[in-house]
Amino acid sequence: MSISRRVFVKAGGLAFVSLGLDPLFLARAAFAQRGPTVQPSNRPTLVCLFQRGAVDGLNMIVPHGERLYYQERPRIAIPANEVVDLDGHFGLHPSLAPLKSLWDNKSLAVLHAIGSPDSTRSHFDAQDYMESGTPGMKATADGWLNRYCDHDREHAETPFRAVAFGPQLPRILAGTAPSLALDDLQAFGLRVPQEAARDRLTRAFEELYDGAGTGLLASSSREGFEAVQMLKRADPTQYRPTAGVEYPPGRVGRTLLQIAQLIKANVGMEIAFADCTGWDTHVNQGSSEGQLSARLRELGLALSAFSRDLGDSMRNVVVLTMSEFGRTIRENGNSGTDHGHATAMLVMGGPVNGGQVLGRWPGLDVDKRFEGRDVAVTTDFRDLFGEILARHLGAGDLAPVFPGYAPAATRFPGAIKV
Amino acid sequence: MRHILLVAATLVAAPPLVAQNPLTARDSALHALNRLAYGPRPGEADSVAQLGVMRWIERQLDPDRIDDKALEQRERAFRILHYDREDLAQRYRDVQRESSPPHPLSASRRGGMGVRSEFRELGGQLQQLAIVRATFSERQLREVMVDFWTNHFNVFVGKGADRFLVPSYIEQTIRPRALDGRFEDLLIATAESPAMLFYLDNAQSVAAGSEPPRRSSGFFGRRRFGMNEMRPEQERRRPTGINENYARELLELHTLGVDGGYTQQDIIEVARIFTGWSIERPERGAGFVFRDWAHDHGTKHVFGLTFHDEGKDEGIKLLKFLANQPATMHHISTKLCARFVADEPPDGCIDAAVAAWQKSRGDIRVVLRAIFTSPDFWAPDAVQAKVKTPFEFVVSAVRAIAADPDTTPRLAQMVARLGEPLYQQPAPTGYAETEAHWVNSGALLARMNAAVALAGGRLPGIDANLDTVIPATTDHSQLVSAVDERILGGTMSAHTKSVILNQLADVADPLQARALAVGLALGGPDFQKQ
Repeated sequence: MSISRRVFVKAGGLAFVSLGLDPLFLARAAFAQRGPTVQPSNRPTLVCLFQRGAVDGLNMIVPHGERLYYQERPRIAIPANEVVDLDGHFGLHPSLAPLKSLWDNKSLAVLHAIGSPDSTRSHFDAQDYMESGTPGMKATADGWLNRYCDHDREHAETPFRAVAFGPQLPRILAGTAPSLALDDLQAFGLRVPQEAARDRLTRAFEELYDGAGTGLLASSSREGFEAVQMLKRADPTQYRPTAGVEYPPGRVGRTLLQIAQLIKANVGMEIAFADCTGWDTHVNQGSSEGQLSARLRELGLALSAFSRDLGDSMRNVVVLTMSEFGRTIRENGNSGTDHGHATAMLVMGGPVNGGQVLGRWPGLDVDKRFEGRDVAVTTDFRDLFGEILARHLGAGDLAPVFPGYAPAATRFPGAIKV
Repeated sequence: MRHILLVAATLVAAPPLVAQNPLTARDSALHALNRLAYGPRPGEADSVAQLGVMRWIERQLDPDRIDDKALEQRERAFRILHYDREDLAQRYRDVQRESSPPHPLSASRRGGMGVRSEFRELGGQLQQLAIVRATFSERQLREVMVDFWTNHFNVFVGKGADRFLVPSYIEQTIRPRALDGRFEDLLIATAESPAMLFYLDNAQSVAAGSEPPRRSSGFFGRRRFGMNEMRPEQERRRPTGINENYARELLELHTLGVDGGYTQQDIIEVARIFTGWSIERPERGAGFVFRDWAHDHGTKHVFGLTFHDEGKDEGIKLLKFLANQPATMHHISTKLCARFVADEPPDGCIDAAVAAWQKSRGDIRVVLRAIFTSPDFWAPDAVQAKVKTPFEFVVSAVRAIAADPDTTPRLAQMVARLGEPLYQQPAPTGYAETEAHWVNSGALLARMNAAVALAGGRLPGIDANLDTVIPATTDHSQLVSAVDERILGGTMSAHTKSVILNQLADVADPLQARALAVGLALGGPDFQKQ
């Protein structure tokens, strides 16, 4: 959303107090004047996908140049001739082949051997730490994305600043800064089937809460209805995918399509967050085909569709995948892998220093492993998250976002162009 | 004897207290029903006012003398209450077996997801049961305290074995001690509970260098029991040292508080004291066990105390000490006042609670009585000063319209959609008590949708009895008055009244008009507060 809208909303707030006019009325007038435009937004957007369940980083980004990789995984290793080679040492799982062109045009980077300094192998603890941004500290109440929003209030005026796709706000967005949980773009707002009845009820609740004074209830309700009205005006669902682009069926594709629609509708979204599940492959993980392959295929197709759909707008978008930890180097007795330590993350988009595998690769030698069995963590996830906040979203001060850590530019892995 | 004296003192103190409080008898009743209960049922503010609010509070403080047959009747429908920890452990193992390597024969033989879906259904019942109890129990204050302590001593039902340990945690650990007895009883019970031992990892905290007497004798030696958190690979990796998680949260969250003045070295000493506090393996019921081989037999020094090879007694001694430290009294009293008085509670009620704690060595009902008789509780500023949590919002709405839910988790899902899925807070902090945490735009819209759905009376699994609360009428001003009186307890603002009347103007159908008026009242700002 542009500066002019911000001014209008603020002026609207004043008018509301002095003349009894509804700021939404002015906001809508402002909106109508400008109309929903398709021009690429200038606001940087960060899209986070959380691969819950701990993705096997070694079969997602395959170290096919390592003899030990094949030795430890006789049944589930990806055969070297099927890996989509990236740099002679690492390659993509064949199901991620749709992402190869992004690697080639340098808008996809990989971070390998990234993870948490905490050694836990509990999904629950590790996800908690990755979302609170404070590994080892269980009592942190809020999430690091929310702390970023709270600390950097410049863009706080749009209700779409931070949007989580799902029925509830995830831990990573918990906290005092306003953020929106959005289950389905089309069903957001009051759930009344007939449009006339819905508009009427919406109007009634708006009036009820406007009369509630100045507290948090009143302001949150205003934000909520502003969001509803913005959605109605901007009608993001009118933005069909760019000709020829097809999102894969399934939740990931559907969510990325909606994120693309919100970006195109120019509602000021700075942070989008979504879950992407099904990575806990203890049993029959598969190799080039199978369980993990199916999940990666859906992810790869969805990311590729998202990138082609947004086209030129990708120059302001960074997509980050994250997962609580990686999996054991050696396959287990059930042709699967157990909970490990470091994993791999993907960073994609126009601002990305793509075409390279970043981070220091510790290798798979037994004496280089974490606790003798897992890929060691050589990049603290906060260094990557911090770099993206600083260099992509323009965060000024990371100290309050990652208390007790404060990522320093010298430790940034170099995922974002300077 | 002391107990009787205190009751007498309170009853004597009641008149001057009411005299200095500017609230009317009915407003006092409404306030007490909003805080000590999950809001008034239709007509309840009047009946409590008639009885006398202080007398009603005394009754709530002595719940075993309140008849609760209607609730007991409903509880019988919940199958989850028929299963003990052993039963649930067995069922959970069946689920785990079902999801082990897909085998063509076993898959077809078992015919799909029977055990798994039964287990899921039981999980839904567990949540729904909390809502049904909060809605229908006459012992409202006990239900409020069950919610308070469940949240204070939070465990996460989604973590491994806690999927089957939480029901007995609620039934046997929290509920019997929520209002009866001392804080230290509750603290010890949670420390010994398998749910907490698993959740905060103390079950796998062992003295450095300790060895079990034989292979595979313990919870971690088992190989067939494939919990998500503990796959065979890890089960073979026996824990080899202390785990500090429980020790840290015990000090920071359960007792002293984050500013309670303890050090990392204190945490390590506390963790050493609790080494060996563990869980039996699931096929033996997953109950509490003290494993002497895993206990650190060395001398520990913490908080000026010395613990020298006293086995399990070390932990009990420490818990009793912690339970009555000034920092603990202040921490828990502040939390209680945040729940009952205001998000940022005034010092007066906190001091009163701490003084009562000191005198009674943490008798929960004595501490509560001190809060309920403190002037801060009855201050006009405190009335309607708190926003309801999602759980409080849904339960109070169901009570207000006398709706009748069954055992399906419909209302539990509603509470989850509003942001407070029961027993599913992963962080040991529990859910926040403050307005800022619960009020955001998406959550408010969700509350409005929930209100409209409840008022519409078409939710499956919930019998709506609106006719008994608000008779349908074509007289709109009569309708709005009834909604104000019966549902909002007479607190409807003039603004709300005029907005609702305006909306009703062209609604001819009395049932539609009633649904609209009730939906707007429940979803509007007045009903979000308590």
